Amino acid sequence: MLLLVVLVVLVVLVLIFIALYNKLVRLRNRVDEAWAQIDVQLRRRYDLIPNLVETVKGYAAHERQTLEAVIAARGAAQSLNAQGASPAAIAQAEGALTNALRGLLAVAEAYPDLKANQNFAQLQEELTTTENKISFARQHYNDTVRQNNTAVETIPTSFVAPIANVTRRDYFELDPTDPSRNPVQVQF
Amino acid sequence: MYDAIARNRRKSWLLVALAFLLLFAVAEAFNLYVGGGPAGLLVALAIASAGTVGSYYFSDKLALAITGAREVEHQHAPQLVNVVHEMAIAAGLPMPRVMIVPDPAPNAFATGRDPEHAVIAVTTGLLERLDREELQGVIGHEMSHVLNRDTRVTTLVVAVCGAIVMLCDLFWRFSFFGSRRSRSRDDNSGAAAILLVIGIVTIVLAPLAAALIQAAVSRKREELADSTAVALTRNPAGLRRALEKLMGDQSVVRKTSRATAHLWIESPLDREHGGSWLNRMFDTHPPLTQRINALRTIENAGP
Repeated sequence: MLLLVVLVVLVVLVLIFIALYNKLVRLRNRVDEAWAQIDVQLRRRYDLIPNLVETVKGYAAHERQTLEAVIAARGAAQSLNAQGASPAAIAQAEGALTNALRGLLAVAEAYPDLKANQNFAQLQEELTTTENKISFARQHYNDTVRQNNTAVETIPTSFVAPIANVTRRDYFELDPTDPSRNPVQVQF
Repeated sequence: MYDAIARNRRKSWLLVALAFLLLFAVAEAFNLYVGGGPAGLLVALAIASAGTVGSYYFSDKLALAITGAREVEHQHAPQLVNVVHEMAIAAGLPMPRVMIVPDPAPNAFATGRDPEHAVIAVTTGLLERLDREELQGVIGHEMSHVLNRDTRVTTLVVAVCGAIVMLCDLFWRFSFFGSRRSRSRDDNSGAAAILLVIGIVTIVLAPLAAALIQAAVSRKREELADSTAVALTRNPAGLRRALEKLMGDQSVVRKTSRATAHLWIESPLDREHGGSWLNRMFDTHPPLTQRINALRTIENAGP
């Protein structure tokens, strides 16, 4: 009888362990997926920038400083991303890139010919949507990170987390004082 | 705002439960008068589930066939497809198919049985009139219908209410031509007579009640989609301005009918009909002014 009770308790414990373990792994995978979604958009933005810079150069070549700031910010962000830096570090570089782009688009406002350019209008739409997607994907990513971190820190999942190799994750937070927390506003 | 979403969800499920209760009441009345034991109930359930299954799988194809929508890719309508993708990311849903309805009246709808089969369609008139932010608000509203599984809830209610109406129809046929076995069984005691009267009243009023419930569910889902859209876009002004533009527009969607009215972001049928209390009870959408005011309240409250 006692043996049976012990056996039942053991089986229940094992089942609980499996459930917790799987929950943690699911959370970790969800964070990874959400990060991949941000990453797709970040890369899309790196790809758009050379075209944008070239187009703007055709109309406003003497805005050298603004153009170079964008190129430099893009290079910094891309190399950090390629090194697989932490989301916090990448977020900071991306925040700077967003600011540089905002400056470039503000400059573009002063060139009616540039704004009338079909290619520029297309690039602007693609850039706007990419900025929006980054910002929406960031919300989703941060939600999944919050769930992951809560699970890692609260009982009973906290006991299983080291075994499942699930750890705390970084939020993708742009500097809170930075205006680039809001996506670039493009006026049509 | 999140409280409003939870409250709304409770209310619409309450309405779904009410529709089912009504179905049972009708089936019971049917049983009482026509006889046949639990057969009436079984027929009711069979009709309701056949309707649900049928519309579950074919509602999207049907709606698209009726409206004449055609699918578009990124190169045809970059901004539209981009905005839909943004909202899909915000909602954490797979990218739905995007369609355009060639119609000058500005309107939009979402359909499909689940997020994997979702379709979001807008009219050409909508694309012409709205700017990017407004379009995002409208698409956010449609994406909310997908996110909240509204197509499923509405399908359920439409099927149940349809079954009620059919059963009542069936009742009149039976009572005119069928043999009323119940008459010999009931020895005209007072209680039985009262039950019969209640049964008749139920059958007379049920189709009306079904129409009211169907409209009420649709209105609740529209309200819910408005608040969910704000949660997705974090920008109540976009949807608010879009609805204001829709209000200013008097054109009516051509290829539509009552059957698809609940699908659209704004009622595609007659708009400014007196606005009497009784008329409003049968509307599939809350009045635009009310929706605009609700969005304005969120706007003024700040994030």
